[in-house]
Amino acid sequence: MASKPMTGQAFFVLTALADGPRHGYGIVGEVAELSQGRVKLKIGSLYGVLDRLAVEGLIEPDREEAHDGRLRRYYRLTRDGRGALAEEAELRAATARVVRARLGQTGTAAAGASG
Amino acid sequence: MSSDLERRYRRVLRLLPGWYREQWEEDMVAAFLDSWLTGDPEADEYISKAAGPSSAEVASVAGLAVRLYLGGPGTARRYAWGQALRRAVLAVLLLHAVLAVDILVFLEGNRRLVGWLPAPPGSLAVAPGGVWDAVFYLASVTWIAVFVALAVGHYRTGRVLAALAIVPNLAALLQAQLTGIMPAPFGSWPFWALFDLAPVLAMTAFHRDAPPTARRPWLLALPAGYLLVYGPLLALEATGNSAWLPDFPGLCCIIVSLACLAHAPRAWSRRAAGTGLWSLTLILLAAVAGANRLLTLTDYVNDPHLIKVSLAELLIVLAAVALVAPDAARAQAVTPAPPHPSAVAG
Repeated sequence: MASKPMTGQAFFVLTALADGPRHGYGIVGEVAELSQGRVKLKIGSLYGVLDRLAVEGLIEPDREEAHDGRLRRYYRLTRDGRGALAEEAELRAATARVVRARLGQTGTAAAGASG
Repeated sequence: MSSDLERRYRRVLRLLPGWYREQWEEDMVAAFLDSWLTGDPEADEYISKAAGPSSAEVASVAGLAVRLYLGGPGTARRYAWGQALRRAVLAVLLLHAVLAVDILVFLEGNRRLVGWLPAPPGSLAVAPGGVWDAVFYLASVTWIAVFVALAVGHYRTGRVLAALAIVPNLAALLQAQLTGIMPAPFGSWPFWALFDLAPVLAMTAFHRDAPPTARRPWLLALPAGYLLVYGPLLALEATGNSAWLPDFPGLCCIIVSLACLAHAPRAWSRRAAGTGLWSLTLILLAAVAGANRLLTLTDYVNDPHLIKVSLAELLIVLAAVALVAPDAARAQAVTPAPPHPSAVAG
């Protein structure tokens, strides 16, 4: 059976962890920055994504650190997570290439028709 | 020391199952407080007293709770209920679709031929014919699309269409209620609440983590269901035995009871695997059919004979449920479920 397609939120969360472990709110901030403010994860949504990714074996806990009397848990990508992210990035890049090519063709055709 | 802000957020987190809170609550609270607090003691004190979780934040936790309670990853016990609920929703939608197929097949002669069927509730309030009839029949036929959409995995389309399909009946019921022309104390409210609204609400169980629906059997169930329901009924009509036809709530009780009876040998056989989910599904369906029968008893307050018949139908459903209840109880313990995310707790 084919695996489910990766959601945009999961893609951004995995990308946020690609350059090192991050804690919950650190991921929220990084995702907002990566998406240029288009994806603003609520905490409930974030942990929905995190526990799904954990169950799928794509992320795992890294360490816990005390901060202002609270424990922050950090998460990191697993080997499978890194592979899944690379695969998804390649898929999205390929799709983007097709889109650019088609837009280019349309643009050329439109310019030719009007010219 | 916990702040007011923290206490408010923890109250929201109570929506989540206990086992999940045990694993994730502290982490979620820390992330939530990080999203508010600035590190400046004065500002943080003010924020702690004045701020609270936004409605979007509450909605995100509620959405997570629905997914966890109804068959998300790591919910071994809830998985069985989630699956049973999804199957029960599909079964109710199948019934709607079968009724809609009948409308298509006997568009004009339908009411005359099988007049025991409930007319669309809207006909209580509006004159027959015209735009309203077209709207009601369009809404009825929409259930076929809702059923097919859910069966093939287009959950969002199914939800949107179903939400639209229940609106005309609601409008007609409200009009009948407000103008005082409701024929019985509850009129068609039980039908609308149990067979229209409840399935639409329960469609939240069809979320991203829900296992895919077995498309082929459900799609085949539509023509099969039509033949199984209408074949005997039309035969009774044709042979002049229409007096034996039950009303719609009675028919639902009989269908569910027959399904329990057909399923009982498998439920009682220890060798058959995965029967418990169907037993749970049948119990949910029996609850819907039983509640509808109970609420529509008031239609017959002046007819002791029909009250007795209705009570007999209720007893039959209860007896049928007793046949599959032990298997349903076992299902919650033995149904294979997705893995628990305890690995993350580390």
